[in-house]
Amino acid sequence: MKDILRFGFTLLLVAVIAAGSLSWVNSITKPKILEIQANNLQQGLSKVLPGAKDGVIVSVPYASNPGVIQYYRGYAQKDSTDLVGYACLVDSKGYSSTIRTLVGMDTTGTILAIEILFQQETPGLGTKCQEIRTGETSPWFQHQFIGKAAAEVALDKDNGTIVSITGATITSRAITTAIADSARTLFSVINQ
Amino acid sequence: MKVSQELVKGIYSSNPVFRLMLGLCPTLAVTSSVNNAIGMGGAATFVLLSSNLVVSLIRKVTPAKIRIPVYITVIATFVTIVDLIMAGFFPDLHKSLGIFIPLIVVNCIILGRAEAFASKNNTFYSLVDGLGMGIGFTLALVSIATFREILGNGTWLGIPVFGSAFKPALLMILNPGAFFTIGLIIAFLNWLDTKTASPS
Repeated sequence: MKDILRFGFTLLLVAVIAAGSLSWVNSITKPKILEIQANNLQQGLSKVLPGAKDGVIVSVPYASNPGVIQYYRGYAQKDSTDLVGYACLVDSKGYSSTIRTLVGMDTTGTILAIEILFQQETPGLGTKCQEIRTGETSPWFQHQFIGKAAAEVALDKDNGTIVSITGATITSRAITTAIADSARTLFSVINQ
Repeated sequence: MKVSQELVKGIYSSNPVFRLMLGLCPTLAVTSSVNNAIGMGGAATFVLLSSNLVVSLIRKVTPAKIRIPVYITVIATFVTIVDLIMAGFFPDLHKSLGIFIPLIVVNCIILGRAEAFASKNNTFYSLVDGLGMGIGFTLALVSIATFREILGNGTWLGIPVFGSAFKPALLMILNPGAFFTIGLIIAFLNWLDTKTASPS
């Protein structure tokens, strides 16, 4: 009986110290982490809507598709004139994680660039979606989306033109369909 | 107990992957490229040093019957704290090593050394043991990754090794390829042992 009390108390003490230190560290780091995520998003938006770099990008409350976090409109001028295109921030279920993709397109729906903001796919397979080959400057998987019609992109395995990552079909498909679906919803709302 | 002996045992005679057979799950996951292997080895060594330090510091006040839950809690808490600090203050480092952190928590080497060594030895030797095991783990990962990346991707550290005509064996990037490689290396090390141990 004395042992059980002693063990129980020791475990309680360990748990309290662990929980206390974790919540303290969390309170210190959470604002920094959110700040970094916001920075990454801003940098991503500038990258996928390069025409709006000196202008302004505003989020718009379009009807959302499941997975879509936010739609944006990019303007070349700071006073929200001269529309250069749209961007979608969308989450999709990958193989082992939720992949967060940002896609920028011009007013006709042609992709300007995509940026994968977050993924935790299988190292060596799914993570190739962010891999830069030696001698190149940007991830080949993302680069191939440029210039294609966003609402129509599909994997080569699904009769499309996007080259999938060998051994990482699910990852490739998750990113591709997220882009296509969100673009399709966006343009169906705009064209109403 | 000699310092050099405790340090070197983790590299060859008690290598955590090839001799102790610990940490095989994360080994499979990160040895598809040498770059990942180095990152994981470094991060795991850091965690191993810290967990061995803490476990050896609290060893006298931890009741033996509940030592496992206590060690697991300590290790998991510590790794999560490292992950949060990296994510908040060292985002570039977190980008490259972030995927390994959750893998390290379930790495049996950490709990294995805590239980087998740090809980029974003083802080100094526990740190030496942690360092030796960490180096041995890293060397094991890099050697497996060298095989898998060259045969399975045609590159080493991302640098193409063969010409463009080389068709990589995808099997090497998948888990069976890892198992084959680990088995072959263990067989080779056992053969080396028979060669060096023969008295005649």
